[in-house]
Amino acid sequence: MVRKLFLTLAAAASALAISGAAWADITVLVPSGSEGDGLRAAAADYAKLKGTKVETVQAPYANVFEQGANAGATKSGVFDIVLMDDPWIPFFAENGHLEDLTPYFKKAGLEGPDNDFLSKSLAICRNPYNSGPYVCLPYVGNAQMFFYDAAKYKEAGVEAPKTWDDVLKASKALTEGGGGRYFGYVFRGGQGNPVVADFMPIFWSYGADLFNADRSKVTIDTPEGAAAMKTFMALRDVSPKGVESYNANEVGTALAAGTSASSINWPNWVATFEDPSQSKMVGKISYTAIPAGTKPGSSEIGHWTMGIMSASKNKQEAFDFMLWATSPEQIKISAERGNPPVRASVFTDPELTKQEKFRHYPVLMEAIQASTPRPRHPKWPEIENAFGIELSKAVAGTITPEEALKNAQAAVEQITGLK
Amino acid sequence: MLKSASDGTSTAQSRPGGWLERWAERHLRYLMLAPTVLILLALTIFPSLYMFYAAVHRISPNPDLPWEFVGAGNFARLLSDAQFHVALRNTIVFTVVAVTVEFLLGLGLALLLDKFIRRLTFLKTVLMIPMMLPPIAVAITWKLIYEPQFGVLNEIMYRLGLPLQAWAGDVNLAMFSIIVADVWQWTPFIFLLMLAGLASLPVEPYEAAALDGASSWRQFWDLTIPFLKPVIAIALLLRVMDALRLFDLVFILTGGGPADRTKVLSLYIYQVAYRFADPGYAAAISLFVLFVTIVLSTWFMKRMRLAD
Repeated sequence: MVRKLFLTLAAAASALAISGAAWADITVLVPSGSEGDGLRAAAADYAKLKGTKVETVQAPYANVFEQGANAGATKSGVFDIVLMDDPWIPFFAENGHLEDLTPYFKKAGLEGPDNDFLSKSLAICRNPYNSGPYVCLPYVGNAQMFFYDAAKYKEAGVEAPKTWDDVLKASKALTEGGGGRYFGYVFRGGQGNPVVADFMPIFWSYGADLFNADRSKVTIDTPEGAAAMKTFMALRDVSPKGVESYNANEVGTALAAGTSASSINWPNWVATFEDPSQSKMVGKISYTAIPAGTKPGSSEIGHWTMGIMSASKNKQEAFDFMLWATSPEQIKISAERGNPPVRASVFTDPELTKQEKFRHYPVLMEAIQASTPRPRHPKWPEIENAFGIELSKAVAGTITPEEALKNAQAAVEQITGLK
Repeated sequence: MLKSASDGTSTAQSRPGGWLERWAERHLRYLMLAPTVLILLALTIFPSLYMFYAAVHRISPNPDLPWEFVGAGNFARLLSDAQFHVALRNTIVFTVVAVTVEFLLGLGLALLLDKFIRRLTFLKTVLMIPMMLPPIAVAITWKLIYEPQFGVLNEIMYRLGLPLQAWAGDVNLAMFSIIVADVWQWTPFIFLLMLAGLASLPVEPYEAAALDGASSWRQFWDLTIPFLKPVIAIALLLRVMDALRLFDLVFILTGGGPADRTKVLSLYIYQVAYRFADPGYAAAISLFVLFVTIVLSTWFMKRMRLAD
């Protein structure tokens, strides 16, 4: 009797395991938040429409990279598609984790992605940047914009900030009058990715960059870098106490609660700021391009892109899904679900642009077209970490800005082997 | 004799399962142990050996590239890796301060409440709550408490007219903030162990000491502490081993910042393994931590004569 029961249970468990493994036709790894939610909703639509079962596995930002890298390194084939932040692309592509999409386009009778995609959105999906074969398709059109409370800025004597000097002027006045409870500026000062992401646009707007044009030399510790650092430190001084540990949530909350007047931010926060249930600032926040320093301002591009894992056993199905999910119709639906588009036709669609919640689209489209990618390097996570440590030290005041630049230069030289 | 042998043969042949059953009976003890040994091999022995193997290789994130044998190369990197040195220093600071405070508070509370706690079961349950919470929940709770703009701690400071602090975001307060959260969670553990130790103390030596006119302090120092020594040793050993593995609080509260002030070894191992995709070096650091833990524990057990 007991033996029969055991055998029955074993058979049932095996059947469950097999059916579990075969449950999905495609498995997609996505981040938590609006980007992942959007693709998850699209996957559900696809399943209804085409009868293809698409399972989405959702993980926090950093864990998406880790799980994708693990799956790639072990050739597990557990994920067919990974929704990647664009600076991860060189790591995934150059370590053989991503499939070259060229043969799939050919099989579909296409030369490649169509011209409706923004050129900067497509450039990041090629490896090497803008010249190699396509290894992914853009899905979420993130690029930083400058967010500010126009009324407060006006009170401080600045109509529309065009330069970092304008931002500093208004922020200084607002912080001084804020009594320690209101601040003119706020930024992500948390060590690592947050502080680097919010420093890079300032760095670029003073003509600085991490590497020279042919990526043969590290160029952090330069007069341009020093000028950018000076502005960054001045912005720190008008930001809330504790900004050293701020990440996206803290910055977003400060703006939505109306306790800070301005910041660099990502467009997916617009939906939060315009939602009365989450924001005290509905209709009060203005969006503009990244201010200029000694050079025109440039946003950091931060697209979410879909690539097929090399170890996938369902590559054709995965490609079909990607092509469908990035079609003009689906990108428009994705935009309505709160994710910035990657197609010109959606950015200029009158059905969307006439709505108040999409009033930032012209600025965002321009921001993407004028954006700069983070350095395309397979060791970017390590470079970002090292640079982030030195920036964090400078923000915390444990070393001088000059020391931070010097240390970051040495650290990145050591990581990359460039002198 | 012949008859009996013949009987025996016929009995054996008539038994169902014959040789298999006899074999099973002969090896029953091994069969009973086999599942445990197999699980131990799969979950403990194999990963440990694999870690040793990984630690002497450079492992590329590209699965098509072979593992490169580097011998002691990964261990040699520990000597020149500034980030590792920072993480090691922070781990030592955290372990020493947090465990000392937890021990003193736990022992103090236990001595204070020893006489009353048996009647206050509710209080005992309440004191145990932090210890039972998942570490991630504790970390998120403290993140909300420390939040500089909207956190309850700064709200209290503001209402009291005290200067607001950045807590986990302040370079001078970040480690302190993590230690406070850890003390909050783990003092009850020491408290409960000490309470159990105090409950098991013999009464006679105290009565004798009182008759001899020994002060409370002398009784505490010459009787309570020596009697509690094994419990203290166990409590400290477990806490030190756990503190050396601190991860959750740092990951959630500070991410190792600001300015690397709270980067601890577990966080660094995680970064090296998963962010920098260098599992060979991560295995070497892990082995270093394992080595330090074993050496510390052995020294401590000998010192406290636990081995006896």
